[in-house]
This record gives sequence, C-alpha cells and structure tokens, in this order.
Amino acid sequence: MKLHVDNVTTPYLRTISFELDNENAVILGSNGAGKTTLAKAIVGLYDTGNVYVDGESVASLCAKRRAEALNFIPSKLDVFDDYIDVEEFLELCLFNGTSAGDMEEMLKHLTIDHLKNSSCKSISSGESQLVLFAGGLLHNAALSIFDEPTANLDSDKKIKVFEMLQRHRGLKMVITHDLNLAYRLGYRIIFLRQGELVFDGACRDFFDAANLERLFGNSIKRVDEYFMVNYQ
Amino acid sequence: MKLFIFALSLMVLGTAPFVGETPLDIHNILNPGAMEYLLFWDLRLPRVSVAFFSGAILALGGLVFQAVFRNSLTTPFTLGVSSGATLATAVGIVFLPASLVAFSTFFSFAGAFSTILLLFFFARTLNAAQTNSLLLIGIALSFFYSAALMVIYAISDLEQSYSIIRFTMGSLNVVGMGTLYPLIAAAFGLLGIVVHYQKELKLILTSYENAFLKGIEIKKINLILLLAVSLSVGVCVSIVGPIGFIGLVIPHIIRLIYKKSSDKLILSVFYYGGVFLVACDLIGRNLGTVSEVPIGVVTSFIGGPFFIYIILKRKRSHD
Repeated sequence: MKLHVDNVTTPYLRTISFELDNENAVILGSNGAGKTTLAKAIVGLYDTGNVYVDGESVASLCAKRRAEALNFIPSKLDVFDDYIDVEEFLELCLFNGTSAGDMEEMLKHLTIDHLKNSSCKSISSGESQLVLFAGGLLHNAALSIFDEPTANLDSDKKIKVFEMLQRHRGLKMVITHDLNLAYRLGYRIIFLRQGELVFDGACRDFFDAANLERLFGNSIKRVDEYFMVNYQ
Repeated sequence: MKLFIFALSLMVLGTAPFVGETPLDIHNILNPGAMEYLLFWDLRLPRVSVAFFSGAILALGGLVFQAVFRNSLTTPFTLGVSSGATLATAVGIVFLPASLVAFSTFFSFAGAFSTILLLFFFARTLNAAQTNSLLLIGIALSFFYSAALMVIYAISDLEQSYSIIRFTMGSLNVVGMGTLYPLIAAAFGLLGIVVHYQKELKLILTSYENAFLKGIEIKKINLILLLAVSLSVGVCVSIVGPIGFIGLVIPHIIRLIYKKSSDKLILSVFYYGGVFLVACDLIGRNLGTVSEVPIGVVTSFIGGPFFIYIILKRKRSHD
C-alpha cells in the first residue's frame, strides 16, 4: 500500500508531506508536536483532503473501504455505554478476516482474558491500553496507526506489545515517546516539532549522535544500545 | 427481578382494558348490542393501545437520543421538543378559526419537528464532545418556548386557555381505533429502523471515533436515527400531548435491571415504555377523583422523584 501525505495543514500542523511505500514508520516528537493530529488526519478523522491511499483521496473512499485500509488506535479507551464489556468491544473490532478465535488467543497472550466480561469503563489505564492494542491488531487494517501503545504498561507487557507489533503482518505506524522502542523497531522515523516535520529518514540516521543532539539537546543520553533520559 | 417485572407487565397489560370507572361485565364484551361492547372496543382498548404505543415511542426515542448525543440526560423532551409542540399547539388553538381547531394536531407535529430541525442546526455547529452544550441549548429553548406560551395565554380567552392546559398535561382520551393507526405505524417504523441499525448503534455507544474507524457513516446514521425518533415522537405528541419523563426514566430503569448495553435493550425499552404508560394510565383513571387525573401528571409524579434519584446516583458513581 502506498500512503501519500501531501501538504497536510491543520491548526496544529504545517504543510506536512511524506510518502510511505509499503513501509512501516515511527512518529516521534515532543508533547503537543502534532503526532496524534497527524495520525487523525491520515485516517480521515480530520478531513484535510490531502491524504492519498494508492492514489485515491482518503476523503473520497467509501466508509467501508477506508476502514479496511486505515485504522487509528487511540491512546485512551473511550466507551460511552457503562455496560459494554471488553469482549463486546473487541468483537466490534473483528474485521478483515480475523475471528473470535484470534481474539481469544490474543487476550490470553496479553494475559487479559480474565477481563473479558468486565465493563470497559472499569478497567485500569494499562489494561484498557492492552484492550485497544488487541482491538487494533484484530481490526487488521492495511495500515494501523498506534498512538503510544506502550505508554501505561509494565515492562513485561511492553515487551509483549513490541513482539506482537513485529509479528503483525499489516503496515504499522507507531507514535511513541519511547526511543528504545523506536530504536528496536527500526522503522523509518518521522520527527515532528511544533507541527513541523523536522526529520524524516532511516532509523540509523535518526539515532546518529549528532542528529540526536540536534533534536534533543542533552536531554537524552546513549548508554551502549540504550537511550536514557538524562536526569541531572 | 426480570421475571417478576415481566409477570407484572403481563398482568398490567392483561387487566388494563378491563379495569375502569365503569365496571365491565366480561360476558358482554363480545355482544355487539351491549354497552360493554362499545365501552371495551371503542374506548378502553384504543386507550390502552394508545398508551402502550406512545410509551414505547417515547422510551425508545429516549434511548436513541441518549446514545446518539452521548449524554444520559438527553431525550427529545429535555431538548425542548415537547415545549415546541406545546407552543405550536397553543398557537393553533388560539389563532385557527374555530372550525379548523382540529388541525392543531398538525401544529403540534410541526412544533415538535421544527424544534428538532433547530437542534440539528445547533448540533452541527457544536462538535461531538459538546453534547452538554446541546442539552443547555435545549433547556434554554424550553424556557424561551414557555415564555412565548405565556404570551399566547395572555391573548387567549378562557376556553382556549383551558384547551391549552389540557393539552400540556397530556391525554390518552381517544375514541375508536382510527387515531391508533398513525401511532402504530410510527412505533413499529421507529422500532424497525432502530433494530436495523443495532450494530451501528453499538459502535456509536463506544465512541464516534471508533464508529468512524470501523467504517460507519456516522453523520448518515445519526441523521436517520434522529429523524426517525423525531418523526415518531412528533406523531405521538400530536396525539397524546407532551408526556414527559418516560424517555428519560425507562431507559435508565431498564439498564439498571438488565445491566446490558443499550443496543441490547431496544426491545425491552420499547416494551416496558409501553407498559409503564399503560400502568400510569391505569392508576390515573382509577384514583376515583372527580375529573380524571391527566396522564402527564401521573408520569411526572412517578418520574420526577426517580429523575432525582438517577442524578444523585450518577453523581455518586462519578465521585
């Protein structure tokens, strides 16, 4: 699948352009840089009219085809009805050929199968993040954009999510603040700052010492193959 | 609990047409020559049916509005639809020539419907997260309509103001089955549409964003659902007057009893909404008062305290 973001401009983004040709990506950037806005613009939640999938404008795709092509997995689980439980929520995510069996398996693997009959409103933020993540994989869109999939998770679950992301066959974009995750995923990196695209290139080039210093100043310290926040 | 309520509901529906001010001799119901025949087939049965289908429409309408506007206090009535209907009816009663007063029914339909159009217009300028603002607009509209109604009162004569007051309190007084047909059509039309969009409704009950991402045409579905509710509520209000609280109270009670998401409660809310109004009517016309207690008074008497209970409970669960 070929994604073409062509001069996308919103109140928070300034003329963002890039192309992804059957390629995964990581979106990095400081708080409020416009990462989530960019993701929403790509999937059509913000209608900019400037995003194209295989040459077709996302805005002009019919709803069903758009849902097969693009999905956005938000960082917070938002469910209005008090009585929709985890299983029901995930059943709504079965799409593009995934089955109830896949769901069971995923719930077990993420060790949240005991939450199946819990209300989506009663589970913790980490648990709801795992539910959203599972929902994203089950939706199985051609391109899925995960918004901070590891933010509220313990280290064990972070590793699980990382492994499952790698194993997932669809195309992925991952929004994160976790440089280690970005480094290990090894995807192409898009870096935003205050709504502008300031880096777009290979993972290796991004983690080049000079580039890191340019983007992060001295707030990041590299120790061997790891990146630490440089508290002083 | 569920079984008990169901048994109770069957009892209410079973006895409602037979109990009233004038006792019925059951043996004469099928005898076309007897008084009882007329009383049962032309008055009691139509009345119970009107009550049932009105209650069903109002309750299901409330359920759908709460889902679509993502606010558990939103119903066609809290948004000012009933006040709109009342105002338009009052205008009809006062300004139509006496020979055309029967057409005030169309006025109330138009009043309900134009209020909905107005709300649509406002809702479009608000985003999905601002449903509280829409509720506030609905309340403001209600006040505005009430003020306008006072002006109409001021220029009406005694007989006209009496008609207006009777309308605002709601009435299930119908004669013959003729009035029933539009109501039944509206009730089953609404039920059919809501059941048809059950899956879409469930996605809307998660979030607009999620529904959009799962390939639902949100704007279209919302428009269809809201139009269906508004049309059927318009029909209902024009026949029985503004009967409040059912749209608010029944979905909440049913949710508390069944503990299921709203998309699974469509039939229950429809059914129990009907039963609730039949029961209220049963109480209202058997109190032995000199004149019949209007149905709107009975529902508000029961609904009012419950509304307060819901607000308090809601607040507790948010603390």
